[in-house]
Amino acid sequence: MDIIGLLIFPGLAFLLALAWFYEWLDRKFFARLQNRYGPLYTGSHGLLQPLADFIKLLAKEDIEPTAVDKPLFRGVPILILALPLTALFLIPMSGVNAFVHFEGDLIFTIFIMSLLAIMAFLGGWSSTNRFSTLGGLRAAMQTLGYEVPLAIVLIGPAIVARSLSITKIVEWQVVNGIWMIALAPIGFGITILATLAELEKVPFDIPGAETEIVAGWQTEFSGRKLALMRLALDIELVLAAGLTTALFLGGPSGPIALIPSVVWFLIKSTVVVLILSNLRALFARFKIDQMISGSWKYLVPLAILQIVILQLLLR
Amino acid sequence: MSESVFTVPVGPQHPALKEPENITLTLDGEQIVDAKIRLGYVHRGAEKAFENRTYVQNLYLVERVCGICAMAHQLCYANNVEALLGVEAPPRAKYIRTIVAELERIHSHLLWVGVAGHEIGFDTLFMYTWQDREVALDLMERITGNRVLHATNSIGGVRRDITSDMIPQIKKGLAYLGERTKYYKKIALTEKTIAKRAVGVGVLKTQDAIALCAVGPTARASNIKRDVRKYDPYSAYDEIPFDIVTNDGCDVAARILVRIDELEQCARILEYAVDKLPQGPIKVRVPRSVPPGENVSLVEAPRGEDIHYCKSNGSDRPERYKIRAPTLANWASMKKMLIGGSMADVPIVLAAIDPCMSCTDRVAFVDAKSGKTWAWSYEQLKKYAQKRSER
Repeated sequence: MDIIGLLIFPGLAFLLALAWFYEWLDRKFFARLQNRYGPLYTGSHGLLQPLADFIKLLAKEDIEPTAVDKPLFRGVPILILALPLTALFLIPMSGVNAFVHFEGDLIFTIFIMSLLAIMAFLGGWSSTNRFSTLGGLRAAMQTLGYEVPLAIVLIGPAIVARSLSITKIVEWQVVNGIWMIALAPIGFGITILATLAELEKVPFDIPGAETEIVAGWQTEFSGRKLALMRLALDIELVLAAGLTTALFLGGPSGPIALIPSVVWFLIKSTVVVLILSNLRALFARFKIDQMISGSWKYLVPLAILQIVILQLLLR
Repeated sequence: MSESVFTVPVGPQHPALKEPENITLTLDGEQIVDAKIRLGYVHRGAEKAFENRTYVQNLYLVERVCGICAMAHQLCYANNVEALLGVEAPPRAKYIRTIVAELERIHSHLLWVGVAGHEIGFDTLFMYTWQDREVALDLMERITGNRVLHATNSIGGVRRDITSDMIPQIKKGLAYLGERTKYYKKIALTEKTIAKRAVGVGVLKTQDAIALCAVGPTARASNIKRDVRKYDPYSAYDEIPFDIVTNDGCDVAARILVRIDELEQCARILEYAVDKLPQGPIKVRVPRSVPPGENVSLVEAPRGEDIHYCKSNGSDRPERYKIRAPTLANWASMKKMLIGGSMADVPIVLAAIDPCMSCTDRVAFVDAKSGKTWAWSYEQLKKYAQKRSER
């Protein structure tokens, strides 16, 4: 039973399908906002386009420049995919309980999200390309901007539910019949913004700013490695949408009991993905200094304010 | 220099560049401390080609100097040859030329606003403006038969007339474009992320712009009130009322606003020209051979002042034809705009002069040390290229 859970539902197969579906959703919605069509030909409405892209990249030549730091250069694409996949097992999807859950898994998830930024930096650094180095440095600096407010606001729901387990937080929301977003709307907003930065999407696509530094820290990666990294980005999107759903939107539960909980999860996380896509169609890219100073000037005080408000509410 | 200083080559191949050029940046972290600019990657030998073609054939070569300001170059060429011949285009032809030239300015500026948006990561703006640009392109197709290389002019007039059924279509297109222009102006003025990326970026002060001979929207954004259409009017510009748009911002934001405001002026010129379109013939017949002489003509291309020089010798081919595209005049100020900015500003500062490299590049043989110059024949050039490409 565990093997099926691990490999099929809610395990690898389900997560991969979800990752590609959300990439398609993101691309399609983003394109429609820009008066474009987006993916169109592969599968119905281009639904299979992300999978086709993945397979195409797998088949492409994998170029390793002579100057790269080989062990690191090869390790980064694998780790960057494995880390968010690991964290996804901690997110409740098909029921109130996650596949794996223990006291403190929220902290573990935040830790993995930090590791992802470090992976981006290492990937850029090991490439020894000027654009990659700049992109890696920017990725590391960007972490300084969004990590602190994100960590603070993610702890907010934990304070309310008096538990550091994502599963327990979802349980609290189901038992009390109230979603965290009602108690912590600022926290929800900051989580969405920080997620944009985490996923390197406009307006925070600074580490991979195409017109400035080619593809940033990903410049030297090609073929299989690039395929894995692109898949990792999709998995990160699922992780971010799932975590936001679990912590703020009541997780896989809803007012109508007949609808299975996994459907509730899909509906809610789809809404989060659409919010992210909509936001990235609205803005121009920030500069790295503007991003960091803006984050420390506005996001960190707001995040602390959110915690204070929660403490007052709990009294 | 400290150890944190390193160089980053932008170009000849780089996603921010639509055409090859090379800018070697010296960076301290993200800050630019020095910039070296190198041009000359897309020399096409156009000026030499002019000497081997007749004046009529050259009409279609000169358009291909630039795909975006095709009409500006062709108009400049036609004015040049007409001046040497001592003929003048009929009034109706002049108005039609003005109409096509202004439609081209609309399409070029909309294209530029989109590119500027793309350079600062605002792809939605890019998609929107390029969709609206189609309206201008369709109008040009309706009038001239072509979307991009219009081939409107002939020496002594224009090739095709504007019929009465086109006028309501032009007016409908203009009304739509006018509405969209207002919308883009609102975005440029209110969208905070654009302001963050454009205000105070790539500053070119008024006195620097004068000293470095900036032209066109770049100069006007540095508060220089200069426009060929006013100080050396050609076609129908001396009869049509319009204002020179300037902005005292001197930065990228000012360049965006100047171009958007110019869109409004274009619409104003077009409305007037379409309403007051004179009746009469659209061209005069001219002889094939041009009497000996020299002439310089100026045209305000969408990117700025375009200068053409022509020397004729009595035959049906020019003896020498020289084109100074507006981009060359604006390159001189690029270094001034880049230094002191950050790496993230490079794409938008580069794009802000609306560079067009293949219009600009020329070749000359100069020994940098002794200053000696010489000329090579095609055979010698070929031999040199073969020698260089041997392994």
